[in-house]
Amino acid sequence: MARKVLEVNDLTIKFGGVTALNGVTIHVDEAEIAALIGPNGAGKTTIFNVVTGYYAPSSGNFLLDGKSLVGQRPHAIARQGLSRTFQNIRLFGDMTALENVSTAADGLNKSGLIGSLFGSPRSRRDEFNSRKKAESLLQFIGLEHRAGQLARNLPYGDQRRLEIARALALNPKVLLLDEPAAGFNPQEKSELGQLIRKIREVGHSILLIEHDMSLVMDVSDRVMVLDFGNKIADGKPREIQRDQRVIDAYLGVADHDS
Amino acid sequence: MEFSILVSEFASLTFDGIVVGAIYALVALGYTLVYGVLRLINFAHSEIFMIGTMTCYAVTLVLGIATDTDPLTLASFTLVFLLIILAASLASGVSAVILEFVAYRRLRIMRASRLSSLISAIGASFFLTELFRIITESRNIAFPRLVDKEPIFVISSAYVTFDKVLVLIGATALFFLLNRVINHSKLGLGIRAVSQDETTSVLMGVNASRVVSLTFLLGGILAGAGSAFYMVFYETTKANVGFLVGISAFTAAVLGGIGNVRGALLGSFTLGLIQQYSSAVLGYNWRDVVTFVILVLVLLVKPTGLLGEALQRARV
Amino acid sequence: MKKILVLFNPRDRFGDWWDRATSLQRGMFRLVLIGLFFALPFINNPVIDTPETSFESVLFYPLVMFAIMAVGLNVVVGKSGILDLGYVAFFAIGAYTQAVFGIFTDLNFWLVLLLGMGFAMLAGILLGVPALRLRGDYLAIITLGFGEIVRIIAVNTEAIGGAAGLTGIPSPPPILGMEFSVQDLRPYYWLSLTILLLVLWGIVRLSHRKPGRAWEAIREDEDVAAFMGVQTFRYKLWAFVIGGAIGGAAGVIYASQILSIEPKMFELNLSIMILACVVFGGMGNIWGVIFGAVLLGYLPEKLRFLTDYRILIFGILMVVMMNLRPNGLIPRKKREVILEKI
Repeated sequence: MARKVLEVNDLTIKFGGVTALNGVTIHVDEAEIAALIGPNGAGKTTIFNVVTGYYAPSSGNFLLDGKSLVGQRPHAIARQGLSRTFQNIRLFGDMTALENVSTAADGLNKSGLIGSLFGSPRSRRDEFNSRKKAESLLQFIGLEHRAGQLARNLPYGDQRRLEIARALALNPKVLLLDEPAAGFNPQEKSELGQLIRKIREVGHSILLIEHDMSLVMDVSDRVMVLDFGNKIADGKPREIQRDQRVIDAYLGVADHDS
Repeated sequence: MEFSILVSEFASLTFDGIVVGAIYALVALGYTLVYGVLRLINFAHSEIFMIGTMTCYAVTLVLGIATDTDPLTLASFTLVFLLIILAASLASGVSAVILEFVAYRRLRIMRASRLSSLISAIGASFFLTELFRIITESRNIAFPRLVDKEPIFVISSAYVTFDKVLVLIGATALFFLLNRVINHSKLGLGIRAVSQDETTSVLMGVNASRVVSLTFLLGGILAGAGSAFYMVFYETTKANVGFLVGISAFTAAVLGGIGNVRGALLGSFTLGLIQQYSSAVLGYNWRDVVTFVILVLVLLVKPTGLLGEALQRARV
Repeated sequence: MKKILVLFNPRDRFGDWWDRATSLQRGMFRLVLIGLFFALPFINNPVIDTPETSFESVLFYPLVMFAIMAVGLNVVVGKSGILDLGYVAFFAIGAYTQAVFGIFTDLNFWLVLLLGMGFAMLAGILLGVPALRLRGDYLAIITLGFGEIVRIIAVNTEAIGGAAGLTGIPSPPPILGMEFSVQDLRPYYWLSLTILLLVLWGIVRLSHRKPGRAWEAIREDEDVAAFMGVQTFRYKLWAFVIGGAIGGAAGVIYASQILSIEPKMFELNLSIMILACVVFGGMGNIWGVIFGAVLLGYLPEKLRFLTDYRILIFGILMVVMMNLRPNGLIPRKKREVILEKI
């Protein structure tokens, strides 16, 4: 029985009068690549925002490796092993690729400002480690030739991959990818699929929001479907493809009165 | 700390607080309207108000009214005051439109960072203040007493004078006018639409730039009108009058809930009262400190203000 | 078109040389540059001299004083993206510390310097803890209020001089045989220049390490920085505290030279002028900021007819800069780094 590394239990969040998530329960197993799909506005990104601490849930909880993260701030959650990418690329534009990744890598070390100022042994070690880690991640993702370039000058595909490298710098137990294939051509999508599998191989679990069904089918072990803030399906990719409720959600149910 | 004054002068302080609050409200509405459409605090709005006060003075110069003139008859006063308020509203309104065009428009179109807009606003504010400081040679400008300020009647300790009644009636009239514009006119619809969602408004055919300009115009007109009442009431101005009045008006807008028109009104009257009461107890010197403290407290404890809408956070 | 511009850009030519220069060459360059600045009082000549005020006086204030404060404010506004409109408060706190402790106690000057910085840092924390939880516009207004409140407190507190201020502030003790007197301003210039260099050393160091990255990330996208593990509140507070300490230090030295201070010296205008230096020089770019401070401090003194219109020009400058060149006159363009293999 696979161990659940990320559990979301009965999560509800309301914004004013709108219930964005309605008692949603999903999970990601260890070493699993899980996908979260659903029509626009279903609440997928909202789940990401809640589990990374940006929004507080109205009720319900979520656990990482069995430990509840509810009420914790984003940077604390990031340090405990939950990191993400964004639907609209949000890199630190004026910083180089290397610096982008280093900043995240810094997140794992504890050295403070005073140490950095006076060159304490720990800060020097941390500085070295951050850099090494950033460089090796850039290599892992295939961007080492872009290390010194400003993030906003990178081509689109590289920017998307840089975001992934940055998120990986936090050594996440679960990596949350928000529409990583947006704007990719089939070739790039297939490469992305390979990258995702590679990421799983080195020891991360992945939860992926995606609209591109071919990528989802290609790479996921399991697919969960949201619609209007409710989970309506959870199973293997092939099963989901044939699930009537899922089809209805995407295509819309015919109006029986007309 | 003199609490006894608070008790003995309660009626007077309350009445004056409402009068002052009405003046603040006219300025606060400018802040709140612009914030509603731009999600931006128009730092230079205080100078728009100041320009209004200067215009009021200029009108008296043009009309040849000396500072030590005898009070005018009701008829003359009405005429003169109408002239003043129209001129000041026009001057402030036009200044506001020009301000938007010069300091904010480009940044809005380029979707520049909030920091850039703020700095541009501050630059404009300082430029205007300094410009008028040079023009007025750092002097306090005295405004003639146009109308007799003997109390018409007295309620407890409150002296109800003509100028205070004028402020209250005039401000109320303007609030009703504003309400008509916001809720029953095309411009008002545009303002409300752009305040809610600029992108969709544009897609639905709203000319956002036009709405923004007109919002500034509206805010400017209100501030100009406010400046006319201010001048009749306080009878003085100087180049940096905008700063303190602005901070009070801004605090009032935040207190009531920035972006919320009713909030601006509620906040203004509340602040006016608090200022009067605290001045009585702590002394006039500390009035501005009290205002700042209120601002800080509101922002820390209830940033949405008394009636406010939720402060927008960046969509992640 | 862009390629041609690059070819003729002196900054890039210098940047290229710098990248290729050896440690020794870089060190020599730094030494020569520093030496040049120290020697400025001696190489004064009619071309660079300032009419009406002595050159040394101008070098001290506003040039180096502005530069120190601009570097301090740069950490807050330029690097971290926090708009602080009340920076003058830290300067005032430092100045008043020197005044009060210098006049009423026998405390050693250097101790007072540390005290001034300490009080300013404390003020930074007091302001920062509540204020930094707020968003940009509101934060700016609160810092503005803070600056004003400090001044109003100074005016209303008779114990520290009230509106009239304090006079008879002692000068620093002799250093390296040089006396700090009213006639000769050069020791003050050299002292403050040394402080500026120390501050620069510290800030540049921090910029190249974790704190610098954290600040930049916060400025670029604060929410995402938090998602990437950056303790945003802590680093924002640090920016405030460091900015405060630097401003406080400047204040102590300023008071020790000017011998008498009053609240009128620490008005909003000064905060805005320092902000203008940061904006003009390119937010976050420490060299640009110093350049901005020197230019904006020097020009009104050199071209006397400008002095009265100084604030007017600064105001317009800020509007123009934000609209036309938001990245400053010398943008923070990062040099494309050649990666060394570790």
